[in-house]
Amino acid sequence: MIKKLIVILLALFLFGCSEQSALIFQDEAEGSITKFDNDTHGTYVSTYVPLPGKDTVIRNATVFDGNGNKFLNYDVFFSQGKISEMGRDLPIVGAEEIDGNGLFVTPGIIDIHSHMGVYPAPGVRTSSDGNEATSPNTAEVWAEHSVWSQDPQYKLALAGGITTFHVLPGSANLFGGRGVTLKNVSANTVPDMKFPGAPHSLKMACGENPKRVYSSRGPSTRMGNVAGYRNAWIGAEKYKKSLDRNPSQRDLKNETLVGVLDGKILIQNHCYRADEMATMINIGEEFGYKIAAFHHGVEAYKIADLLADKGVCAALWADWWGFKHEAYDMTIANIAIVDQARNATGCAIVHSDSASGIQRLNQEAAKALAAGREAGFDISEARAMMWITKNPAIAAGISDQTGTLEVGKNADIVIWNRNPFSVYAKAEKVFIDGALAFDKASGLVPHTDFDLGIKEWEVK
Amino acid sequence: MKFIRILFLLPMLALSHGDDMYLIKGGKVFLPDDGFVVKDILVDDGKIIMISDDIGDIDNGEVINAQGKYVTPGLMVFSSLGLIEIGSLPETNDSSSSIYNAGFDPSKAYNPFSQAVRLNRSKGVTSTVNIPGASGYFSGMLTFTKINDGIKQKKQGPLGLLTRYGQSYGDSRAAELMFMEDLFSYVRSSELKSDANEVQFLEGTNNDYKFTARDFSAIQKVLNREIPLVVNVNKATDILNVLKFADSQDIDLVLWEALEAHMVADEIAKAGVAVVLDPLNNIPGSFDSLNATYENVSRLHAAGVKMAFYYAQGAGPHNAYLAVQSAGNSVAMGVDYEEAIKAVTSNPADIFGLIDVGYLEAGYDADLVIWNDDPLELMSLVETVLIDGENQDLSNRNKELTERYTKEKDKPNSYRSRE
Repeated sequence: MIKKLIVILLALFLFGCSEQSALIFQDEAEGSITKFDNDTHGTYVSTYVPLPGKDTVIRNATVFDGNGNKFLNYDVFFSQGKISEMGRDLPIVGAEEIDGNGLFVTPGIIDIHSHMGVYPAPGVRTSSDGNEATSPNTAEVWAEHSVWSQDPQYKLALAGGITTFHVLPGSANLFGGRGVTLKNVSANTVPDMKFPGAPHSLKMACGENPKRVYSSRGPSTRMGNVAGYRNAWIGAEKYKKSLDRNPSQRDLKNETLVGVLDGKILIQNHCYRADEMATMINIGEEFGYKIAAFHHGVEAYKIADLLADKGVCAALWADWWGFKHEAYDMTIANIAIVDQARNATGCAIVHSDSASGIQRLNQEAAKALAAGREAGFDISEARAMMWITKNPAIAAGISDQTGTLEVGKNADIVIWNRNPFSVYAKAEKVFIDGALAFDKASGLVPHTDFDLGIKEWEVK
Repeated sequence: MKFIRILFLLPMLALSHGDDMYLIKGGKVFLPDDGFVVKDILVDDGKIIMISDDIGDIDNGEVINAQGKYVTPGLMVFSSLGLIEIGSLPETNDSSSSIYNAGFDPSKAYNPFSQAVRLNRSKGVTSTVNIPGASGYFSGMLTFTKINDGIKQKKQGPLGLLTRYGQSYGDSRAAELMFMEDLFSYVRSSELKSDANEVQFLEGTNNDYKFTARDFSAIQKVLNREIPLVVNVNKATDILNVLKFADSQDIDLVLWEALEAHMVADEIAKAGVAVVLDPLNNIPGSFDSLNATYENVSRLHAAGVKMAFYYAQGAGPHNAYLAVQSAGNSVAMGVDYEEAIKAVTSNPADIFGLIDVGYLEAGYDADLVIWNDDPLELMSLVETVLIDGENQDLSNRNKELTERYTKEKDKPNSYRSRE
């Protein structure tokens, strides 16, 4: 019995989590991300409706705005689900008042790499739906078609301040399928959780995983991996041309790939080694697409300048390493080095790839910040806050709506009982689109249907 | 339940203790009864000689100014440190066995030059209790190993016999319990000979039920109460069954992982059983842990259960030092601050009856850490580590890589140094 359990746990570790990564594509500056409905055929669109919110003003708090700033004794006023005013002593009357004295306010935390819903808890084989490991190219599958809306893990992440998360397929394939951005709300259907207007992503994976999983049929080497990517893009180019002759044809796999070539789908690329990441950038240039983000990127610091030059984000762990050879060259300063590249123009992200880690992204950012300072960088807490708010929003293509506390943005807000870079900090309240979604004091937390019949333990 | 146990030091190769004398002045020293108190610590010949308000000065040796700093016992972790270099490469993994189960002691394979050992030492870890991973009915023996730099290590053990109880993919958990009862009765009644051949305990069953003389001998140690049975068990009802089993067998017990222990905290406390766990494990990851919660530790703590913490989240085997992060979080969950520090220093020593380690007290091994700030905080740094009174090399590959890509960044790769 022990043997079997270990094998299953190992399999989960290898395919379920640590091996899945993705690259995220950023680049709002160049305006290369076009907003579009998630599906060009008009279905599968978001049906999300925010919870009822109240006009609320948080007074006299310490505010990290996610844009690199820290404000003391600051007020944040939100109305109709949007942030409407920020400043000192705001002359707001008639709104719900929250005394923020001694409290910290941040944007809602965003995880760009989650498998909640597709690898739900309990982790049983029958709902292990995160990786269609049947072919090196499964660009035709969509993570949202696996997501279990009753996964009890969402609320645990919510208690850690997570308001938005991006669900990716696993990393067994060269092309693993489409990822989806979800609001951290309880719902009975996946469209009810979908972040309105968020682009799809395409999960790609480098290195050990695809070549191991498909070694008998190929690819069995890293060069085989690269040939696999390039052949698929060549096929996608052909398909795109053929659309001129036959615009009504359907091909799920190529529709995803062409979505990337058209700039509508963002590449999230699981890739550990620096040399492989550079190769993946080359492939993108060969076929005219840009990678939104590299995921896991244990060696991202080795090519931090290149990443900054190319405008590619790196979604990283603070300190994971050693579980595989391509994750051996770890430094806890990785995130800081990526962040500080080219006069601090790098796009560094703290990601979780873990239903446990997603609950404490603030703590992971704190460890990365400490290592960055130890390495000699002068990085503020306000800047490090961007690693778990603004930058993942950029990588997910939703930074026009969330990720920072700015007038007009969604009121996705976390109130912490103390500095969120402290191990002792807890989220007190979490607002999504201006509506209270979690409240530690009153015990408000969404329960899924799965939670029924299980003795209630307060989420703390 | 009291532990009557004779601990013996494993093949203790002649170890050179530090001849160096250290006087650590004015640090906030973690004392078992009082928490952090400003004291001086005198270290000589590998031992803590004296802890006092003002020891004055020393003629020989080194004075370390620790004013404003925190001094704790070295972190004692439960891990595969020194046994697994790269998780997915079996050729670098010495933590498991399919030949032996109960009698399997992986500590003989400990690699003091593992990069994971270097990193963890630089983060304040001074010793590890290995987690064995044999694939049979038992996982193997726990052994304590100091992780000092240098090729020789002091060990203590065996400390316990690790097994697992709960959901399986074959037999009912009821049958698993019956099996354990039958197996223990058999070992009690048998005259075991050291040259006995392999025994297929249940005919017609798989390898999980095969035992060698070495395995029986390990079980015998549990029956003789030389070491406790350490049971990885999560479901509350299973924990009750295991408590009852240990009582009926008159053996010592330690619970491991124990995600639903909070539901039977009073029963665990009443039995005087300790729990080794990660406070961060709050996910209902299986049907044995549907009631997993952050409140596990606070409820066990309130019931008076002695706990030791390990870190079982991402990359756990290589980042065992993050037990301090688990401990810090436990404080936010309601565990007393001092108790959280004990859970990663002295409690492991208490639970497994270790000799002369885990405390800052005269006569104990000088295994200690000086931190620049609160040891449980995420951004605090380790400044000094002594193991057996020797100032440890805190270099590690993580820092060496950092230097290569920061301070040496502008040099061509070919001209960058190794250090």
